Formats: sequence, C-alpha cells, structure tokens
Amino acid sequence: MSQLEFSQPNLGEELSKMTDIELDALDFGVTGLDEEGLVTKYNTYLANLSGVSIQKAVGFHYFSNVAPCMNNFMVAQKLEDAIDESKPLDETINYVLSVRMKPTKVKLRLIHDCNLLDSYVLVMT
Amino acid sequence: MTAHLNTKEDLNSEYETLLQFLYIAPVGLIQLKADGEVVMINPLATQLLMPIKPDGDISNFFNTIESVAPELRNICSSFSKKRGQICDALRVQLMADIPGKEDPKILAVSLLKLDADRLMAVISDVTIVVKRERQLQQNEAWFNAIFSGVTDYALMSLNHEGKVEKWNLSIERVSNYKPIEVENKPYSIFFPADTADENRLKDRLAEANTSGWSLLESWCVKSDGSKFWGSSIIAPLEKSIKDSLPQGYSLIIRDISEKQDSVNDILKSFYSDPLTGVQNRRGFYDAANIEFDRFTKRARPLSLLIIDADFFKKINDTYGHHVGDEVLKHLSKTLQQCVRDIDVVGRLGGEEFGVLLPSTDIIVASQIAERMRKSIAEAKLQIDGHEIRYTISIGVSTVNEYVTGVDMLIKIADQALYESKRSGRNRITETIPMASN
Repeated sequence: MSQLEFSQPNLGEELSKMTDIELDALDFGVTGLDEEGLVTKYNTYLANLSGVSIQKAVGFHYFSNVAPCMNNFMVAQKLEDAIDESKPLDETINYVLSVRMKPTKVKLRLIHDCNLLDSYVLVMT
Repeated sequence: MTAHLNTKEDLNSEYETLLQFLYIAPVGLIQLKADGEVVMINPLATQLLMPIKPDGDISNFFNTIESVAPELRNICSSFSKKRGQICDALRVQLMADIPGKEDPKILAVSLLKLDADRLMAVISDVTIVVKRERQLQQNEAWFNAIFSGVTDYALMSLNHEGKVEKWNLSIERVSNYKPIEVENKPYSIFFPADTADENRLKDRLAEANTSGWSLLESWCVKSDGSKFWGSSIIAPLEKSIKDSLPQGYSLIIRDISEKQDSVNDILKSFYSDPLTGVQNRRGFYDAANIEFDRFTKRARPLSLLIIDADFFKKINDTYGHHVGDEVLKHLSKTLQQCVRDIDVVGRLGGEEFGVLLPSTDIIVASQIAERMRKSIAEAKLQIDGHEIRYTISIGVSTVNEYVTGVDMLIKIADQALYESKRSGRNRITETIPMASN
C-alpha cells in the first residue's frame, strides 16, 4: 500500500481501514476518538512527539486528560458539535501545541464522518 | 514510583510522568525571556492564549497579550528589582470572538522575575470567580450604605412614579432642599441633570422591582447645584398584593465624598487605564454589560463607538513612545470632552478606544462621532518641540433586537471601524446590526 498523505481527500475512510501497525508507520500524528471523546487510536508518531506513550493515552478522555491544549472552541468544540449534531466535518487549521512544553506550530486536521466508528484529530508538524 | 532511580527505563518512565503532569496541570504556566519570547509553555496556557491571537503566533507573550493588556509590557520593563513578583493575579478582560460559546472572559496573570532574562507567568481563567466577587461586592456596598454613618442620610419615601412624597429634616441636612422644592418632584432632582433623564429614573425603579434594590454610587446635587459623590439606594416598599407592583419606594442618599477619596484609589487601579485615566478594558466591559442588561429589560437606545488613532505606529516609530503616549492622552481627553457624564470612555487596546452612549440612538451617536473626528483632525499638539497632527477613524453601531450581547455589539462596531480604515481613514462609518450579523 502506498503511503497516505496528511492532506489527501477521504483520509478518514482510509485511516479507518488501517491496522495499528500501519498507523504507526505514518509520518503524521493520528488520534482516533470514540463518540465519548475517549482515545481509541494513538500512533507512534504522536507518542514520540508528545513523549506520552500509547498506554497513557488510549482509553483516556482526549480533550481533558491527554491534549487539554485543544480544549477550546477552535478544536474540541468543533469536533464535539459535529459528533453531537451528526454533521460531517473535515477541516484543517493552523494551531500551536505545547510539544514537551515547547510552543510548536502545527497543522491540525479534524475529521468526523457519520459512517465511520471513530473521529480523528490529525497532527502534522 | 521509587525514590532510587537506577535504570534508564526508570528515568524514562519518570520523565513521561512528569511530562504528563505538566500536560494536564489545570493552570497555565509559561517561562519567558525578558523580551517576552516563550521558552516553555504548558497546554493550558496555550489553550487560554490561542483565542486571543487568531493568527496562532503565540511565540512572544507580550505580543500575544498586547491586544488585551497593553500595559503588561511596560509593567515588566519598568520593574527594576533583580528578582521578585512583578504582578499578582492581574486581571485581563478578553473578548470571545464567538458569542454564546463558553470561553474564558477574564484571565488572571501573575508574573515572577527569576533573573535578568527569565520570567515565569501563571495564567488562569477566573471568569466565574469574578462573577461571584461582583455579587459579594454589591452585598457589601448595600450593608455599608445601611449601617455606617447614619447621620449622613437623606431618607425619604417615593410614590409609585418615583416622586418624593414628603419632605423631612434628613433631606435638608444632606441636600439643603426646602419642603416646597422637593415635594411631589421626581427623585431625579438629587442627581445632575445630564445623568438622570426620565428613562434612567424608570430604569432604577424597575431594577428595584426585580432585584429588590437599586444601588448606585454617582454624583449627586444639592439645592444650590453643587455636586457631591453619593451612594443612593432605592428599595420597593412592601407590596400590598403579591406579584403586583409596589405602591412606593424608599430612597436613601448618603454623602460618601470622604470615603470616596480612599476607595477611589483602589477602584481606579482595578478599572482605569494608568496612562490615560479612562476606563480600562475590564471597566469598560463591566459598564457595557450593565447597560446591555438594562437594554434587555427595557429596550432603550444604546450606542457604541470604537475609535482608533490612524497611523499611530508611525507616530511611535518617528517620535518615540513618549510622544505616542502624549497623543493617547490627548485623544482620551478629547473623547471625554465630547460626551456626557453618564457616557463611558474606555481604552480597549493599544490605540483603540470605546465610547458607550446610553439613551443615544445611532443618529445622535454619529453626530457625536463626527464631533470627535473633527476636534482631533483640527488639533495641533506641541510635544517635545514637535508639532503633531493626527486623525482618528470611528466605527458606530447601536443595539437592536439582533444584538445578543456586548461582544457582538463591539464586533459590529469593530467591523464599521475597519470599513472607515479601508476607505481612507479620518472618517466615521455606521453599521446597524442586521439578522445576518
């Protein structure tokens, strides 16, 4: 299979078909969230970026316990609204994350598709 | 976790735990250099600061916070000690860009100087705390008004329309009025004419009906026209039938001129801009929220001007910050001269000012704006041997049924201001809110 690109179309659908090992091979960060906001997927790229391992991320509430820096109207609210209202969302925004406490400019891509089990927050540095 | 760290794995695991501790800490922490460059920042600080800077560049703390707390950079640079607390829980009023979303409106910022090139900032969201404090303050003011210095009081009863029912000695003691001058007159005779129109008179009675009392610290007048700073409270008299309007009210006015001098200094530090003496962002928002609440209860005109000095950066760059500061002082003084006592002038950002005009429709508001524009355009300032001339651009808007809150009103006036800038500056633009806003 050819390598997926951060900005390619239909990325949500492609990601939903991938195994954990395939997700770990990607060169951007992938978080999968269930409709409660609990982390279901967390790839190696993200673990290396944040310094927080997969064991401390999967199963936890993403916006309160793993990535509170996205817990505002620009990210969390947008995704939660899309989930609550069952509306499709695929939006890329410029953002700043505290990566190991360093302010780091990133691109975030938020994906919610009612046909998929998980929503996605993707990070590209 | 063990206290003895032997292996590399132990260290790694501890590092991860520490990282996570900082990631989820429920308070914003930033380490910065003296010029404001952010060295370390935890996620909560990022979350609180990001909405202030729509372009997302929060790499410099002072640049980020400049639009909402322009004084912070100066406070830091004028801090002369080698180390120590620069400011403690300084309150910064934000504006949420999206009305209705639950975003922080007030941040508390503490700054600590560690050494010449290292500062720590602690940021937290105190929106709810401030709301609670305000309620407490109101209660306290009420008790103060009732219990202290009883001899200073004028106590009287008003009928259901707010007219004074009967003269008594306490009225003469505080205001020098004789019986004939007060009986059956509206209670507004105790207040300066330009602060007590008929609408405002009714507003306070309505406020007393709904919240149990209406408390105000303001200028009051004596029979000879001289002013004193007074606290006045209006409370409805017992209602004869439940849920009906009261038959009358009691009004107490107290001369608090002396108390005012000491309280003033404290209040000033909270609510006024140290450079220009006008309201700071927080004071302005407080006043705007009160006026907007009044509008929602009883629809009355309420207009807003947002004013920005044209090419201000150029003035600063050409003549230096000292001259820039003098220009801002001149601007705020001119704005104050163009408005009434009840209008509120505030400094909202670097060179941006807001003027709140209660009981004023958009036609009169535009006339006032034009007067301001003209006064500034015609003024010649002499500062440090330079002759300075400058202009301002103004956005005018007004409250109507489409306006959901203060943030929205300010945003619409801001857009009008932008239009004035875009079409050549030194002009005013008015925008009437519409459904599409």
